[in-house]
Amino acid sequence: MGRKNESGREGEPGKGTSGGVNRRQVIKGAGAAGVTAAALPGLMGARQAFAADYDPMKYAGTEINILMTGDENDHRALDDLLPEMKAETGIDLVVSAPALGPLIEKTLQNLKAEQSSFELIEYLGFLTTQQVGGGYFMQLNEFIDDPAETPPDWDFDDFIPAAMRNVGYYDMATGTVGKGTDVYGVPGLHSGSVIYFYRKDLFEEAGLQPASTWDEFMAAAQALHSDDVAGCSFIGANDFSLATVDWYTRFITTGGSLMSGDPNEKNFTPQINSAEGINALQMLIDYLPYAPKNVTQYGFAENVDGFSTGRIAQMIFWSTIAGPVLNEENSLVADVTGTAPVPAGPGHMPSAIQGGWGVGIPANIDPAKRGAAWRALTWVTNKRINRYSIEAYNIDANRTSAFKDPELLEKFPYLEHALSAIENAVTIPTSRIPEFFQMNAMMNVEFNAALIGAQDAKTACDNVQAQWEDVLRKAGHLA
Amino acid sequence: MTPASRERLGTKLGKLDRPGTVVWLLLAPTLLYLAAFAIFPLFYSLRLSFTDLTAAAGTGDWVGLRNYGDLLRDPHFWNATKNSAVMVSASLAIQVVLGVALAMFFNLQLRGAWLVRGILVLPMLITPIVVGVMWRALLNPDWGLINWCIAAVGLEPPNWFGSIEMAMPTLILVESWQWTPFVFIIVYARLQALPQEVFEAAIVDGAKPLATFRFVTLPLLMPAIIFAAVFRAVDSFRSFDLIFGLSYGGPARSTTTLSFFSFQNGFQWQNYGYAAAVSYMMLLILAVGTIVLLRFVQIRPGYAK
Repeated sequence: MGRKNESGREGEPGKGTSGGVNRRQVIKGAGAAGVTAAALPGLMGARQAFAADYDPMKYAGTEINILMTGDENDHRALDDLLPEMKAETGIDLVVSAPALGPLIEKTLQNLKAEQSSFELIEYLGFLTTQQVGGGYFMQLNEFIDDPAETPPDWDFDDFIPAAMRNVGYYDMATGTVGKGTDVYGVPGLHSGSVIYFYRKDLFEEAGLQPASTWDEFMAAAQALHSDDVAGCSFIGANDFSLATVDWYTRFITTGGSLMSGDPNEKNFTPQINSAEGINALQMLIDYLPYAPKNVTQYGFAENVDGFSTGRIAQMIFWSTIAGPVLNEENSLVADVTGTAPVPAGPGHMPSAIQGGWGVGIPANIDPAKRGAAWRALTWVTNKRINRYSIEAYNIDANRTSAFKDPELLEKFPYLEHALSAIENAVTIPTSRIPEFFQMNAMMNVEFNAALIGAQDAKTACDNVQAQWEDVLRKAGHLA
Repeated sequence: MTPASRERLGTKLGKLDRPGTVVWLLLAPTLLYLAAFAIFPLFYSLRLSFTDLTAAAGTGDWVGLRNYGDLLRDPHFWNATKNSAVMVSASLAIQVVLGVALAMFFNLQLRGAWLVRGILVLPMLITPIVVGVMWRALLNPDWGLINWCIAAVGLEPPNWFGSIEMAMPTLILVESWQWTPFVFIIVYARLQALPQEVFEAAIVDGAKPLATFRFVTLPLLMPAIIFAAVFRAVDSFRSFDLIFGLSYGGPARSTTTLSFFSFQNGFQWQNYGYAAAVSYMMLLILAVGTIVLLRFVQIRPGYAK
């Protein structure tokens, strides 16, 4: 049973304001006014004053259930640290971590139920619109601003802004993710984007520089391809990342724009069969002679295995694999793997899709547990967990401090590029609508069919264009 | 207890003692179970198929027959229907032919047959999802055991799930591997129970083995074969977990059957109304298919005519 807070309501956040200005406003205002380092001690003093109200054991004895992904290593990191959480907060956190499919199903069941069985739910950034935008999660601003509820060292402003825009901020009035200052979720337990992996030894032997353009990527693939090592690889299977990583990165870094218009104005129009769209798919088709023989069946695991065992010279991939391929226990090429930003077309900047997860509190949980849920949320997204996740499981962080930690940087140099990738990443426009997964699946099927030779790039893009338009019309996003 | 209350209790017990009451009482749990878990979902999903319920919409609006109309215009539905038809007919043919052949072979009562028979039925004891994952690993193009064996004898391993042409035959192969033992067991059991007199009469009449099989054994086995075939056809038509574990409907939708198509719409994309319509189309196809099969295929043994 939680104790009453200063607002007098059990499990409800207090207002946490001082003279009508809350902590976040003070910090944001100070930043906007150009407060110099000299003024910061004053602010820190304010934080310490806030900290005095904070009772870490306020919700001791409460059981909180978290539903999170079991497909990645987040739950393992969390499991390791549960005893610490219990000791520090007295909260019993029960972790349920199914695979993505069951996770989405279970999430929707709970969000739509009269009362959710899970007080914390982790959701994919791509589903922010569907789940947060559906009004299923609590707004968290009051908690964040309440010094009695939020640990003084939690540091909201340490979350990477791009990750906050991906899963945290949501403007209900316009149905736009990443807009406004209303917070419905917190980045967690990891974020990520796409970076370029290459074999330093092979490139040096061949006198090549890591590719910074797609032409250089192709040239390197041709030059480095041999019976033992594929010149390059990519997700060629009918897999989520075929469209979102390999095609989309090439598409946007050669000038492509996925959608025009706005779903709310019913003119949300795909541009899949644009010249850039067809060209991006043709690039993948052109790599086939220099890719692993069965690349059209390569998903996430096959590429990680292939690279880690030294059978792939270069590829772009989710930065989350950087740890495993650079870990000497798992990888044969740990000491000869280099990373860099993804290549781009002439005149374009490296950029890729924004990935990652958010954690929120369902609006329909037992009201008496809201305070404890927030306390648990702040614990699972704290700096220590984030740092530990990188160190123990090479999970991409979602806090700037973890990416810039000197010790971690020395151990995992890829973090510099991973952070840069996240900072420059873009939220895929189709994640604004609930049909995102269906549309992505259509794209993967058609693109995979092009890769196995069942159709050419233009036909595949035309097919996707037609199927997307059909889905968008049925859903009312396109007139 | 007063005499009056004793009498009332006696009357109540007397009512309970009636055969009809006891029957209904005993049936009640089963009827409740069926009502809750079979009849209610059946009608609920029928109603669902007339709505546009999606995860995004929350509560679906009544759209009448629109989902069914959309289905009939959806090329992916027809592709899935074609795939289901190919899978069911091809795997059924293989399973029936092989199952009957195996039953005839084991009916020879060779030494050690009991052991082989036991091993032979093992595949059907494995959960289909496990069979799917296991075969996917065995057929992995990079490190699968089967490809390794084929390459070891100097042959080029087929691209099992990397080409449209090979994917469906591979799926049929695995489905047949798992379920041929089922047909075998049913037919073998029937074979064991056949009266020996008719075979003795055939021998006395000078019938050769092939003629005996064609005109005596096969007609006598027909009820068992039809039962096994109908059962397998229905089961194969509904097959989902094997495809989920083995090919995930690919490549290029070449192994997407109606069950998988329904799963994708319902549980991947949360288009519940549309997925329910797919399920009812499946039910319709199954009902028509089964009636046709039972109507036109000779089910009673020839000698009974």
